[in-house]
Amino acid sequence: MAAADAAIPAVFKPLRSIGRSTLGALRMVGGVGMFTLRGVASVFTPPWFPNQLLRQLVAIGFFSLPVVGLTAIFTGAALGLNIYTGGGRFNAEQVMPQIVALGITRELGPVLAALMLAGRVSAAIAAEIGAMRATEQIDAMRTLSTDPFRYLVAPRLLAATLVLPLLTLIADIIGVAGGWLVAVRILDFNATIYMRNTMNFIQGWDVGSGLIKAAVFGFIVALMGCYHGYNAKGGARGVGRATTHAVVSSAILIFASDYFLTTLFTHA
Amino acid sequence: MGLLVLVLAAGFLVYSLTVGGVGSKPGGYDVTAKFGQVGSLAPGAAVSVAGVKIGTVSEIKLDPKTFLAVARLSLDPEVKLPSDSTAKITSDSLLGGVHVAIAPGGAADDIKPGGEIDNTQGAVDLFGLIGSVMRPQGDPAATPPATAPAPAANPAATAPDSY
Repeated sequence: MAAADAAIPAVFKPLRSIGRSTLGALRMVGGVGMFTLRGVASVFTPPWFPNQLLRQLVAIGFFSLPVVGLTAIFTGAALGLNIYTGGGRFNAEQVMPQIVALGITRELGPVLAALMLAGRVSAAIAAEIGAMRATEQIDAMRTLSTDPFRYLVAPRLLAATLVLPLLTLIADIIGVAGGWLVAVRILDFNATIYMRNTMNFIQGWDVGSGLIKAAVFGFIVALMGCYHGYNAKGGARGVGRATTHAVVSSAILIFASDYFLTTLFTHA
Repeated sequence: MGLLVLVLAAGFLVYSLTVGGVGSKPGGYDVTAKFGQVGSLAPGAAVSVAGVKIGTVSEIKLDPKTFLAVARLSLDPEVKLPSDSTAKITSDSLLGGVHVAIAPGGAADDIKPGGEIDNTQGAVDLFGLIGSVMRPQGDPAATPPATAPAPAANPAATAPDSY
């Protein structure tokens, strides 16, 4: 290596940093890919830990309900007001129920529920597993011949993938309720007709495609939390860094995969 | 907190299913109206009497026998329409957006829920109307403004009060 370094002219020095970061990025992609494969494999192969799964279902699902509900109701209300104002520019205020329902079920319900989960759950997973890594509990677990993937990663992956669609369903309902509240209380819509327009307009696939998205987002959230926690380095600071990385990377992956999934769903 | 959210969501779901579900309609009542041409009328469009909204168009389908468009209107139960009322599809503005305007008649009996409005006037094809005015003139240099003669040239197909 030293001989090769000496042979490189100084002009090419900046290129080396580009190469180094490219290799680092590829290593990261490979690492995440391998981690994903191991995680999925451990979900489908015994031994399973049902108690862990149950605990994660409650922690990820049930305790996320308040934050998801609040997000959904305010988003639905704001969306309703905006669509009413925008629709008014060409005398189309009456399409408000339909567009609120479509926007919530196809896009905002899954994405916002996933983002709240990224903030709440991905960070918690990364901190928990990162702290276990920092205090060498993961190594201890391995010496006790318990696979940390099966005991820690698999229940979280499975729980988040199962539970985020359910949370999204709740977010859909509460989001539409937010729009409905604004329409009825402030904009003088008829409550019955608003609701009937929504129910007549909405199709199974509008909700279904959102739920499929939500399952993918749930997997991403848990995966990023586990990956960054599992690979946390350097004690308390490393745990903090892992938490940040988990939240940021899962948010970015949620948005990116949302775009591609939407392309798939709208063109297919 | 989580339970509260679940309960609220379940409550609203039950409400929306009872209100919007198929068959059940505690709030409004439905009448139908057949039109020769609905234009861009779509479910969700308003139904009004004297400019005041009294309901919405809930469904539009084609009668395969008569080739007429059948619009189902769900109306406010407080508004009872005389049986000889007229339903007319009119534009909200020149840029699309149509609604059903109902001119109440003078008959003593009302249209029952599930009944039909017999007197209807379909949507006016604005561009067809302009074209029919402009083409027969035969003199493109001296074409009069299309707005003024349009109602006069075809008095049968008027929708003048909406423009």
